[in-house]
Amino acid sequence: MTAVGESVRRIDGLAKVTGTIEYTINLELPGMLHAKVLRSTHPHARVVSVDASKAERLRGVRAVLTRDDLKRWDIDPYYGPVVRDQPIVAIDRVRYIGDTVAAVAAVDAEIAEEALELIEVEYEDLPAVFDVKQAFNPEAPRIHEQMRPAEVSFADTHALNFAEGGPNVVTHFMLRRGNLEQGFRDADEIFEDEFVVPAIQHLAMEPHAALAAVHGDGRIEVWSSTQNPSVVREQLAEVFHADLSKIRVVAPFVGGGYGGKTYPKLEPLVVALAMKANHPVRLILTREEVFYTITRHAVVTRIKTGVKRDGRLVARKCEMLFDTGAYADIGPRTSKNGGYASGGPYRIPNVEFDSYCVYTNKPPAGAFRGFGVPQVCWAYEQQMDMIAERLKMDPVEIRLKNMYEEGDPFFTGEILHAIPLKTLTRKVTEAVDWKTPSRPSSPTKRRAKGVAAMIKSTMTPSLSAASMKMEEDGSVSVLTGTVEIGQGSDTMLAQVTADILALPVSRIRVVHSDTNVTPYDQSTSSSRSTFSMGNAVRSAAVEVREQLMQMAAAQLEISPNDLECREGKVVPKGSPERGLGYAEVIRRHFGMGVGSVMGRGTFKTTGHLDPRTGQGKASAFWFTSAVACEVEVDTETGDFEILSLVAGVNAGKTLNPRLSEGQVEGSVLFGIGATAYEEMVYDGGQLLNPNLLDYRVPTIADLPRDLRTILVEDPHREGPMGAIGIGEPAVAPVAPAIANAIARAVGVRVKVLPITAEKIFRALKGQADQA
Amino acid sequence: MKHDITIRINGRDEELQVGSNETLLDALRNRLKLFGAREGCGVSVCGACTMLLDGRPVSSCVTLAALADGKEVLTIEGLSANGILHPLQDELWARAATQCGYCTPGIILAAKFVLDENPRASRDEIVEQLAGNICRCTGYLKIVEAILAARDRLLEQTEKGAGACQSTSR
Repeated sequence: MTAVGESVRRIDGLAKVTGTIEYTINLELPGMLHAKVLRSTHPHARVVSVDASKAERLRGVRAVLTRDDLKRWDIDPYYGPVVRDQPIVAIDRVRYIGDTVAAVAAVDAEIAEEALELIEVEYEDLPAVFDVKQAFNPEAPRIHEQMRPAEVSFADTHALNFAEGGPNVVTHFMLRRGNLEQGFRDADEIFEDEFVVPAIQHLAMEPHAALAAVHGDGRIEVWSSTQNPSVVREQLAEVFHADLSKIRVVAPFVGGGYGGKTYPKLEPLVVALAMKANHPVRLILTREEVFYTITRHAVVTRIKTGVKRDGRLVARKCEMLFDTGAYADIGPRTSKNGGYASGGPYRIPNVEFDSYCVYTNKPPAGAFRGFGVPQVCWAYEQQMDMIAERLKMDPVEIRLKNMYEEGDPFFTGEILHAIPLKTLTRKVTEAVDWKTPSRPSSPTKRRAKGVAAMIKSTMTPSLSAASMKMEEDGSVSVLTGTVEIGQGSDTMLAQVTADILALPVSRIRVVHSDTNVTPYDQSTSSSRSTFSMGNAVRSAAVEVREQLMQMAAAQLEISPNDLECREGKVVPKGSPERGLGYAEVIRRHFGMGVGSVMGRGTFKTTGHLDPRTGQGKASAFWFTSAVACEVEVDTETGDFEILSLVAGVNAGKTLNPRLSEGQVEGSVLFGIGATAYEEMVYDGGQLLNPNLLDYRVPTIADLPRDLRTILVEDPHREGPMGAIGIGEPAVAPVAPAIANAIARAVGVRVKVLPITAEKIFRALKGQADQA
Repeated sequence: MKHDITIRINGRDEELQVGSNETLLDALRNRLKLFGAREGCGVSVCGACTMLLDGRPVSSCVTLAALADGKEVLTIEGLSANGILHPLQDELWARAATQCGYCTPGIILAAKFVLDENPRASRDEIVEQLAGNICRCTGYLKIVEAILAARDRLLEQTEKGAGACQSTSR
């Protein structure tokens, strides 16, 4: 019996289909107040005065938090995972339209809202900068006066160069390998292009929400829609000068994350409000406020590639500007990831990559499914097709010629393992019948196929720990900091436990993400939970199993080596009839019907890159994926339809096929949204479409009629049962694969996302006018 | 201004006093603690707050509670009686068509309306009528498959003349 590899039902599924699942927005505490936030109407301004006296006098208002409180209290009012640049509420300046100026806690949300209008704020405008290229300019107005590194930061950010390259550059990632000049001299052809990706929004259906209670003995409790309770706790400890053990962060079930709920968001603010009000406070963002809270980085990529006539890539220089908005959030790491990923999944001996994380006066950008890779994949995979076209090579052939293989050194110098890029590319292109053209549905339409592939790292170094207890009835509780954000981690971890302990999944309960009881876990992000927490839980389960075997060995007077666990029993090998159920083993061991058996597991990954060369080890394992699709373009309107799309992802080992497919299918629709619709549209610093009427995301009608997932199993030697994560890899290749198909169909190369009918139509009209 | 209203919610009459501008969603969440419907967009686009009002789907985030006076409301909490799941619930679960779960009640109720109206709804008809329910997680494919499977089960039940829903397997 094994639970691994089976499409067992989600263990949280019953609560989800009956609507009883517990999200942060459902939680209430006795005496709880409701919060609302006053947001800046100026993109960059000095805050001259904040007068909350009228708001404080409004009936039902219990507290108004302003900068005066932050100055009065013994706290460090700035937070941020890499640099502490974000104040709980504005102190000296506001830095974008939507920035937090003050907050109100009142007996109901309507009164809190009403009170916002009574807060008087005087601003004095400062020069603002919205365009990332302008912000990168040495003459640009400076958005942050000083840099405060986070006290407890992430080890991998040591690979970055801080505050180097201009007034608004947060970090600069550098990678140098080979001899770039020589590489370009050896090239037969050189390609130089610029590709642009706009800011988009995660649009998790659940808005960000947090509930905080501050107790008289100094304990702080927070329930939050967060993907990483441990980082939130660290940051609250820094801000409020409290021991980690006195801060409890609980992550109930999260209604969608996709990176948008990583790192502190509302938590410092609700804690400060609860402190001032002396009552628990809950804040639920409106949809519009979510748009002002976190976004995906807009990126400009300049990419120059040298190739030999036979299609071999010999040199590449990439420069990327990551627009991180007014606060860095995790932008430094995002730009680092995009930096070394910009070479793509290809052997290129001579490279120089420079990626910059740059402030602008816009909403902050942070982690987003794909973490910097979709933006650079948009560039390198389109340029790959442009190269193939010029060299008159097939797009599949040129990719296969250059793709990394097992054992190759990556751009960072580390040796690649379990990266079946060629298999993935072959499988997805075969699945769309790459070589066979299909007939358009009308004479004014054109069809073509496109392909793209990618390689992506995971957060490294990182740490995950888990505890496990087997209760006296033989059922198991898994204590894990991994947050169930919809990805199925509870089910996956139960399956891993079930596999080791030979129990049905129904006997395992996953207790998740409460820092009072669950051990440290770095983050539910970077598709790291299967690999890292999977390994930690596996070790914990092995520890429980070993203790059971020791106990049973004494009870049966047999060597533990001659025992095994089968169907909930410890059994002597070869004579299962002598087996003892786990409850019986525990009962006999303790001599009474009570007691528990505890297991522990810790899994750590290591790595480091040199900040001047980017050489070292970037990732504990690598995600690989490829997408092939067929599109039909209407030459009269510019509209296009995705007829078929096949996504191939390496799973290492598929722990739950249905849940894994769901991750890939979800990724593909994320990719389709970014390709065809999604863009945060600005007029200067004013966001024009912060709502679902004006910001379009894919609906069920956008599901390609033929959407297929191919899960390849190239096991990773360190993965639990060989498994790695599958939550992100399919996102990045979708947009360039579609763009490549469109270019092959009608000769239009769209370099700025999203690809709209209008852009294609105008380009087609331009072609016609020239002809 | 306050309004005294009576709404039949999931088969039970509820007397409520609601404000003039209070939405049906807020009334049910805040007053009755029915958390199955959720606000996703607040502008009647995403479908996360879908309820059936006299059998027809409405966005409860833009429906005034006072206007539901004397009407019948079905929320996800009223769909599975006595622990027996509706085939839509069972199939969405079995086929992994729910991930974070936030949109799931709305999808199930919207799909129920489609199948109530047209028990033999085609894939295209289902897709067309569910375009007002956004799911950001699943990519929709498994939702389509689950609704089609539920449709077939419901048809089979009707043909057998069995009134009750099939019990669920875990």
